[in-house]
Amino acid sequence: MEPFALRLGYRFNDDDEFVAEVLASEIEILDETGDVYCPCRVRTGDPKEDVKIVCPCIPFYADEFAKLQKCWCGLFVRTDVVDGSALHGVIEVPAGGPAEVPVSLLAEFPPGTLRTVRIGKREIALARVGDDFFALGNVCRHAFGPLGQGFLDGHHAICPWHGWRFDVRDGTTDHPGADVATYPTSVRDGYVFVTV
Amino acid sequence: MQVRLYGLTTCPYCRMAKRFLDDGSVEYELTEVDSLEGQEKDDAVAEVRRISGGASFPVIVVGDEVIVGFNKKRIKELLDL
Repeated sequence: MEPFALRLGYRFNDDDEFVAEVLASEIEILDETGDVYCPCRVRTGDPKEDVKIVCPCIPFYADEFAKLQKCWCGLFVRTDVVDGSALHGVIEVPAGGPAEVPVSLLAEFPPGTLRTVRIGKREIALARVGDDFFALGNVCRHAFGPLGQGFLDGHHAICPWHGWRFDVRDGTTDHPGADVATYPTSVRDGYVFVTV
Repeated sequence: MQVRLYGLTTCPYCRMAKRFLDDGSVEYELTEVDSLEGQEKDDAVAEVRRISGGASFPVIVVGDEVIVGFNKKRIKELLDL
């Protein structure tokens, strides 16, 4: 579980006893239900909804957790947190304001890569051209194709469905009224961040 | 002031909240949602969704205020602990 979380910018909490307690709960839940659902939330019975609370649930709440600096149950804390046990009492997501969200290890995102990343309810196409990163809305405005699964040609993301081209620097396309949103990116401590 | 704790038996913050209230000798009504079954469980989940806007635990009701998560500071303030 932890190697996957590390890719999302999280590690296990420093409080080993607490981690053992959460994992023990998750094992009980696994035995009962067949999957490692979050011990702090209830399942709805709708598989499409419940998949969002399978541990580690970080991508589905990445914007909220980036502000909280930990996941809901505290099993995982952000890699830049000094002492995760100090976050036990912190539970309210600070309202409003942008969230700088770690989305990939820098080492796993070489130049020329175009990929979809999930940040909470949003899907974002992340591109690397040389040493520069660009983040844009993942959904092509033509037929809703997934831009992050398309092709990168210079500074253009090409939709995999019908070849519409979007400039990753500003989200513009040749088709009037069909530009996509862009988001600020940053690179720090071996991670790529997108601010939403 | 009336205190009510909605929790799950599997949730570490719910256990922490329980210990905290017990240590402060606070009287409270406890609903462990995953211990319930059938209609009773559905009703409890619906109530938690209604008052907290979600189904994340613990949910602690102190008087008129609904606290989502184990917010020790806020509970202390409200209960003068």
